[in-house]
Amino acid sequence: MTILDAFDRMMEHTARRIAQRSSRRGILARLGTVLVGGAVLPLLPVDKTRAKLAHASEFAKTAQTTDPTKCNYWRHCASDGYLCSCCGGTVNVCPPGTYASPTSWIGTCINPDDGQAYLIAYQDCCGKDSCGLCFCLGTEGEMPSYRPELNNDIVWCFGAPSMVYHCSSQVLIGRA
Amino acid sequence: MRAAGNRIVATVAGLWLGSTAAIAAAQQAPAIPAQMPPAAAQPTQEDHPTAVLPEPSPRWIYVLEPVFPYLVASKVWILDGDDLSIKGMVNGGYLPNAVLSHDKSRFWLAETYWSRGSRGVRTDVVSAWDTKTLAFAGEVVLPMGRFLVVPKKHNATLTSDGRYLLSFNMDPAFSLSVVDVKEMRYLGELDTQGCSLAFPTGNNSVASICPDGRFVHLTFDANGRLLRTELSDPWFDSQNDPVFEHAAVHRPSKRAFFVSYEGWVYPVTLDGMPKVGERWKLQGPGDEEWRPGGWQLAAFHAASNRLFVTMHKGGKWTHKQAGDEVWVYDVATKKRIHRLPLDHHSATIAVSQDEKPLLFALTETAVLMSYDTTTWQKKAERSGLGITPWLLYTFGE
Repeated sequence: MTILDAFDRMMEHTARRIAQRSSRRGILARLGTVLVGGAVLPLLPVDKTRAKLAHASEFAKTAQTTDPTKCNYWRHCASDGYLCSCCGGTVNVCPPGTYASPTSWIGTCINPDDGQAYLIAYQDCCGKDSCGLCFCLGTEGEMPSYRPELNNDIVWCFGAPSMVYHCSSQVLIGRA
Repeated sequence: MRAAGNRIVATVAGLWLGSTAAIAAAQQAPAIPAQMPPAAAQPTQEDHPTAVLPEPSPRWIYVLEPVFPYLVASKVWILDGDDLSIKGMVNGGYLPNAVLSHDKSRFWLAETYWSRGSRGVRTDVVSAWDTKTLAFAGEVVLPMGRFLVVPKKHNATLTSDGRYLLSFNMDPAFSLSVVDVKEMRYLGELDTQGCSLAFPTGNNSVASICPDGRFVHLTFDANGRLLRTELSDPWFDSQNDPVFEHAAVHRPSKRAFFVSYEGWVYPVTLDGMPKVGERWKLQGPGDEEWRPGGWQLAAFHAASNRLFVTMHKGGKWTHKQAGDEVWVYDVATKKRIHRLPLDHHSATIAVSQDEKPLLFALTETAVLMSYDTTTWQKKAERSGLGITPWLLYTFGE
């Protein structure tokens, strides 16, 4: 059994427990969070992300779409940590020698070029100590850690071979 | 050649002073090393002991420094709150949590290590430190791990009698690891039903916050086995106005104040199943632009019934913005009694629990300030305290 299999099994167990008292939408939010890139992705809680668009617009007012090494790059609206784009990677490519985490939480950012909202998976790159460059803190739609599916303080390296945080990437996964 | 030999002996004695080898070398060396001018000789040699601290003062401040650019190298600074002089420090592991004992003899760090620094075998551990010698005083391995997150104070706590340390774990199943810190023994895990954080409610019970705005209340036995799980009704709107994780908690009086993103204060009694009192608002007429924000943004001084909260001007989703001011409330009357403009924006505050308390404010740029809350004058300021100091702790809180 791989580490990711073990992760999935644990999260399935957790989700089942939560299901005992949560709304269906809440369960989908959690599943969507932890299985990004997997078969469950189409079940993402579209209603909830749309509800947050009004809040995401504040960041978009001053966002740009050309330089991902700056904190006001449009996808960084809820990114917390060192930008992989400054550390030998890009918004969706991990720096050499690090592990791309298969898990993340998901935020919603507006691309000012087309005014559309997109789902961004804040997947960490893991396995080396902090990159230490280009620290940015976006907090649009970010919630306390007792709502882990919407929290950006967590080391999102679950399922990766290492839980050591290196940098934060911002992977586009679809239209909100 | 003779003179060169003497220099070597003198150098060895200097480098290894205090060791058996050095003492032997020094005994064989001339009374006055050849290279030392005779006028520099002293009649006695200075001792070089290691300092030992007195019992911690309630006015000392413990500063947890996770060192974000170098997370594997955290530390805890200990400072005198009146002048912010350094009393000492200890090293910590990855993204640690500190817990201060009730009897002032110990503090603990729940922390994580890898056997080769940033790689190798992972070990999660609760390490004990002597508060006077700052010497390592033993450890307990957490076999199920711990939650790795930017340090949040309430991810580790002590039960009311100080016997059990509870360390939150999301790995990724949600649980609290129970450590008997008297016997220094790991007991087991308490399933938190998907809820997070740890607020002590008794000698063998603890409460966590659930995603849907409830408390879960867990009672366990002396072997760390879960006896009872109770869920409260939802007491805040976790979708539209969540409470910050950093509630102001005063353990001895079992009182806590949770602050929401929008500025509502929820007074909570942590004695058995948590009891939530009537909520009230920080902002009054004319305060519409202001909201609470930062990190460890609230502190409570029990003897004077005063609540301190960092406030800033900002819109929705500015909940992590550091405060320009600290607003001070009498929680009995729910009235603001003071606005303290800070010299530097501060994300984290703490208050000492003595009669004339000090208010500590910590910036995101490693500046710590100490204010006298009887005169509201700044007593001390220290910059360059590490790189990213993050959480504050005082004994008696």
